[in-house]
Amino acid sequence: MGKLEIKPPPVVLVTRAKRSSFHFVGRLLTYAVLIFGAIIFIFPFFWMISSSLMTLGETITRVLLPKVPQWENYIEAWNQAKFSKYFFNSVLITVGTLAGLLMTSILAGYAFGRIDFKGKNILFGLFLATMMIPESVTLIPNYLLIRGSIFPIPGGTWLNKYWSLTIPFIANAFSIFLLRQFFAQIPKELWDAARIDGADHLRFLIQIVLPISKAPIMTVLLFGFTGSWNAFQWPLLVTTNDTWRPIMVGLWSFVNEAGPQTHLLMAGAVISLIPILIIYFLTQKQFTQGIATTGLKG
Amino acid sequence: MSEVTITTKPTKSGSTLRSLRTKEQITGYLFTLPALIIILIFGLFPIGYSFYMSLFNWRVTKGAFIGGSNYLLIFGTWTNLLITLAGLALIMLAFWVWSNAYKSLDKSQKIAKLIAAVIMIIGGVIFVTGWGFMYESGNKSFLKSLIVTLYYALGTVPAEVLLGMMLAFLLYQEIVGKDIFRMIYFLPYVTPSVTTAVVFQIIFSLRETSIANMIIGWFGISPQKWRFEPRPLLNLIGLNIDGFLAGPSLALISIMLYGIWSFVGYNTVIFLAGLGNIPKETYEAAEIDGATRGQIFRLITMPLLSPTTFYLTLVGFIGTFKAFNHIYVLRTPSAGDSVITTSLLIFDNFYKANQYGIATAQAIILFLVILGLTLAQNKLMGERVFYG
Repeated sequence: MGKLEIKPPPVVLVTRAKRSSFHFVGRLLTYAVLIFGAIIFIFPFFWMISSSLMTLGETITRVLLPKVPQWENYIEAWNQAKFSKYFFNSVLITVGTLAGLLMTSILAGYAFGRIDFKGKNILFGLFLATMMIPESVTLIPNYLLIRGSIFPIPGGTWLNKYWSLTIPFIANAFSIFLLRQFFAQIPKELWDAARIDGADHLRFLIQIVLPISKAPIMTVLLFGFTGSWNAFQWPLLVTTNDTWRPIMVGLWSFVNEAGPQTHLLMAGAVISLIPILIIYFLTQKQFTQGIATTGLKG
Repeated sequence: MSEVTITTKPTKSGSTLRSLRTKEQITGYLFTLPALIIILIFGLFPIGYSFYMSLFNWRVTKGAFIGGSNYLLIFGTWTNLLITLAGLALIMLAFWVWSNAYKSLDKSQKIAKLIAAVIMIIGGVIFVTGWGFMYESGNKSFLKSLIVTLYYALGTVPAEVLLGMMLAFLLYQEIVGKDIFRMIYFLPYVTPSVTTAVVFQIIFSLRETSIANMIIGWFGISPQKWRFEPRPLLNLIGLNIDGFLAGPSLALISIMLYGIWSFVGYNTVIFLAGLGNIPKETYEAAEIDGATRGQIFRLITMPLLSPTTFYLTLVGFIGTFKAFNHIYVLRTPSAGDSVITTSLLIFDNFYKANQYGIATAQAIILFLVILGLTLAQNKLMGERVFYG
C-alpha cells in the first residue's frame, strides 16, 4: 500500500514541470489565436465606420482609411437619405412594444409562476408551442389579419400604421417563460407574510416581487429591444411607405434605391447600430449572462 | 353541541376557502388575459389558418377548395412521397440497429452491423429514387430550396460549434482582457443582421478591389464574383461534378461565411457558460489521479460539455432552416436559385408571386421538416449526451 502513496507526488511534479516548459509557447499561441479571432470579428465594423467617412471615390479604390474624414456624410445620410425619419420611427416602435411587452409578460409570468388556476398547464404549454413554429407559417395569415382581410379590425387596415408594428409583438412566450422561471423561485414565506398584511396578488407583485426582479426584467427588456430594433421581415411586409418604416427596412430600401453610394450607406449602417451598441456596452454583463443562462434552458 | 360546532366549522371555513380559491382563479385568468389575447390572435390562430389556406386555390383572395392539391404540386404524386418517406424510415431503422449493436458486446455485434449497413444501403437507394421521382414531377424550386437549406445548415452549424468550442476553451483560462475578447466575439451576434449583412454585401462584392478579393489575392487567387457566382465552388476549382455532390455555389458560400461570422460568438458564450458549470473538483480529482491534459479533455470536459454541444447543434440547425434576414439581404439575382433557401422561397411565393395557397402549403411542409429533424437529432444525438 505504501507504493500507492508514493506514486502520486512525482506525477504531479512531472505535469507541473511539463506545463511550465510549454507555458510560454502555449500562451503565445493562445493569444495569437484569440487576437486573430478578434480581428476577424471586429474588422467589418472597423471597415463600416472607416468607409462611412470616405468620399465616394475612396470607397471604390482599395483603401482602408479615408485621407480626410468626411463627417458631412452623416449629415447627408441623416437628412437627405431620411435616416432621421427611420430612426425615430424605430425608437417609437421599440418604446411602444417594450411598454406592452413588460405589462403582458410580467402579469402572465406571475400568474403562471405563482397562481393556481384551472387549465394553467395547458395554457402554458400552448404558449410554449408558439416558440417552435417557424415565422414562415404564421407570416401569411398575420399579414391578412393586419390587412383586415380575415375579419374586420379597427381602422379598416393596419398596413402602414403604427399598430401593425407594435401590437403583434407586445406579448411573446419567451418573455413570459423567462419571468415565470424567476417568479416561481421567490420564497412562499414572502407571499404568506404579505397576505397576512392584507395584500392581494397585484399589490404583492408591484411592491415586493418587482423590486427584487430587476435582473430578469432587464433581460426581457434587452431581448425585446434587440428584437424590435432589428426586426426586418415583418416591417418589410407591412410598410409600403415612409410613414412608419423602421430603420432596418429603411437601410434596405436605401440599398435598392441609392445604388452605389457606399459612403452614405455605411453612414446609415453606423446610425442604425448606435442604439444597440450603446445598450450593449452599458449592459454587457447582463446581456451575455442573460443569453448564457436562458440559452441553456431554452 | 360540541358535535355541531365541529361539523359547522369546517364547512364554514371550507366556503371561505372556496371563495378564496375562485378569487385566485379569476386573478390567474385576468393576469394571463392580455398575453393570451395577443398570443391567441397572432401566434396560435395563424397556425390553423395557415393550414386552412393551404387547402385552397388562394391567390391574394380565396379561390376554390382544392384539398391537398397544393401539397401534391410539391411532391408530384403521393406515391413519390411514400417512397421517399419509406426510404427515410429504413435509414432511421439502420441507425437504430447500428446503435443497438454497440450495446451488445458479443459476436452478434458484427452481424447486426452488417444488417444495419444493408438496410442503410437499401434505404438510401429507395430514398434517392423517391426523391428523383419527386424532382421529376414535383415542384423543382421547392425541392432545390430544401437542398440549398441543407447545404447551408451543414456548411455553417458544425463550423460554428467547433470554432465556438475552440474559442471558449482558449478563453476559459487566465487570459488578460478576457472580458474584452468575449465582448468582441459576441458583437456580431448582438448587432442587427440587416446592418452587418449590408456591410458583407460590399465585402463580398464582385469588384476586383473588394475586401474578399483583396484577401484571396494575398494567396495568389484571382478575383471571384462571390455573391454573384451561381457556380459551385468545386466547379470553379476545375472539378466537373454535377448534382447534389457538386456542393454549394460560391454565392451560397459567401452567405455561409457571413453566417459563421455572426454566430460563432453566440456559441462561444454558451460554451463558456457550459464550461463554468463543470465543477472544479472533478478536474482536481483527475489531476491527483495523474490524468494527462488529453485524458482530462477526452474523459471529463467533452462528456460534461455534451449537453451544451447538443443544444447548440439543435438550435443551430433549426435556426438555419428559419434564417431569412441576412440571406434576403445578401442574395443577388445573378446567383439565381443557388442561394434561395426554403424560407426565402416561401416569402417570394407569397410576396412576389402572390401564391398564398402554395406558399402556406410549403410553409407547413417546412415546419414538418424542421420538426422531423429535431426529433431525429434528439433520437440520434440525445442518446450520446451525458447529463451528469
